[in-house]
Amino acid sequence: MAEGAIVFVIFVSVAAAAVTLMLLLANAGARKPLPQSTVTARGYAVRRWWFATVLVVAVAAFAATIPRLPYPRADELRSSPHFTVVAQQYSFVLPATVPVNTAIVFDVTSRDVNHGFGIYDPAGHVVGQVQAMPDYVNHLPMRFERPGHYTVRCLEFCGVAHAAMQGAFEVR
Amino acid sequence: MSAQRIMWLYILTGLAILVLMMLLGITMRMEQAGWLSYDATAFYSLLTLHGVGMLTAVALAGLGTLWYLVSRETVLDARIAYLAYAFFIAGVLCVIASVLGHFGALWTMLYPLPFVEASWPGWATGTYLIGNLLVMIGFTLWCVQILAALLQRYGISGMLGVEYIFRGRTFEAAGRRPPPPQMFAALIVSIDGFLASIAGMAIVIALIVRWADASVELDPLWAKNLTYFFGHSFANLTMYMAVAGVYVGLPLCTKREYHTSRPLVIAWWGTLTFVIFAYFHHLYMDFVQPQGVQFVGEIASYLAAIPVVVVTVYGGVLLVHRSGMRWSMGAMFLYAGMIGWVVGGTGAVLDATIPFNFDLHNTLWVPAHFHTYLLEGVVAFTLGWAFVNLEQRSGAVSPSLIRWVTGTCIFGGGALFLLSFYLAGSSGVPRRVAIEPPPGPAIAAVASIGAIVVLIGLLICLAEGVRLARLPRKETA
Repeated sequence: MAEGAIVFVIFVSVAAAAVTLMLLLANAGARKPLPQSTVTARGYAVRRWWFATVLVVAVAAFAATIPRLPYPRADELRSSPHFTVVAQQYSFVLPATVPVNTAIVFDVTSRDVNHGFGIYDPAGHVVGQVQAMPDYVNHLPMRFERPGHYTVRCLEFCGVAHAAMQGAFEVR
Repeated sequence: MSAQRIMWLYILTGLAILVLMMLLGITMRMEQAGWLSYDATAFYSLLTLHGVGMLTAVALAGLGTLWYLVSRETVLDARIAYLAYAFFIAGVLCVIASVLGHFGALWTMLYPLPFVEASWPGWATGTYLIGNLLVMIGFTLWCVQILAALLQRYGISGMLGVEYIFRGRTFEAAGRRPPPPQMFAALIVSIDGFLASIAGMAIVIALIVRWADASVELDPLWAKNLTYFFGHSFANLTMYMAVAGVYVGLPLCTKREYHTSRPLVIAWWGTLTFVIFAYFHHLYMDFVQPQGVQFVGEIASYLAAIPVVVVTVYGGVLLVHRSGMRWSMGAMFLYAGMIGWVVGGTGAVLDATIPFNFDLHNTLWVPAHFHTYLLEGVVAFTLGWAFVNLEQRSGAVSPSLIRWVTGTCIFGGGALFLLSFYLAGSSGVPRRVAIEPPPGPAIAAVASIGAIVVLIGLLICLAEGVRLARLPRKETA
């Protein structure tokens, strides 16, 4: 399952649970009102646990992201082959091929305005991206485990022909 | 009466701009669906206007609400509210003029795009930048006025609730009370808004200098940081403007009290801090940013959600739960707004998770979450607050048929419209493109239908609001 699909499923599940719970809490026992002090006392008792749960989920989610950060490590920058990518209105200068199952680094920059270097795998899923900025070089570490034709799309608005700004490379 | 007049001036202007911007939004989704056809220059000009106009619209409505609520507790000069309003309107008119000149660098106006793209004339760039500056000056005026009034009324430690938190027993024994919850919303909006406006004006003035003198060069990374600091904070703060209406409106619907508690004060302190630093998540894909800053962005984005789900929305749910509340239009929109806030916040937190952002950044997932946040959160709160006022004033409530029809259109149509964005974003469809790659166009067609249904619901809702407003004022004993 593509990562985007996983995020979509997580979102729909959490959103559906939140909507259902909030509607239930609004309507449950609506015809049998209770004094505010009673509801508040119960609610405040639950809130401590709710706060603890939310905090634990936030900390766990943050911890889980650390090993999966897309940023380059010093050893990757030193030991991996580098491929230069230059973006400009409205095209990319790209390597024709990059090696499969090899840790590589794209050195991405721009000749004019801000662009986005978005990589789509042969099935059309985004597998990574980085901004292409004038005056700066962003180093994007990648490892392609699937050979084939990869499409590159500009993912930062760069002008009137932005939608047509594409490129491609082969992974072999 | 003067304060109410100002509130309605801001709210009605905001709603009028909102309807116009929705119309623009619908035409753009229809163009992406292939149902309409206009050239890319027009598309990006309209997208620029849609972005700036929509944020100004919801901000105006929220600022009007907050101004009125603050005026009930402090002394405010109406002339400053009118002056700020004039700056906002002049700014919007400038942006409209720039769009007529085909300016289309979007609200982000990322340096150096406004000066490199050749499809619009130089005067359009200058007019757009001046328009932005005018809106920022209006917002700064508003923030300074509210801050000064709060300082005068409560003092620094009083308005922040410091004594209430750290010397609670002495504070309460002296018969003192902390400011009501809506004052904390006003405080955080004015402090964070002021800081964001300073950043916004700094980058806009720098861009105006660059516009006047082409030899001036700016640092693109600094420009991006300042732009997003202002843009993200301003958009985020529109929710905290509108939520003040929940603090006051929901108790009127439930006949219960929403009072200031210690968790509420601490939650607002958290919001004050986290809103400032959350904007870094806009620059996750700028790998040249220091990595520590990226962590701060993720942590601040996560922590910003905690005061919402543990205090404000949680408190709102407790207020409604088993209250025997009658579901009027006002009550429906205020409660639904809290649901929209949580749902939009969920989408935002997922996008603020760096490994997910690696796939979702600048896809349609981004407008998915902020359209949820704005349409089903901020706009719902604004409508809720407006209807609570109209219901209180007239002593009447709308027929349940009207409530069901508007609710179904705005939230049902909204679900269709928004889920389309989420689905397209998770499929990798880029945002801000006049022509989308597959499966974008098919999804845009479904989204267009959803958006049209929302607009129909909103128009019915506004007509019902006019009907309530024309009813005679309720006689009070």
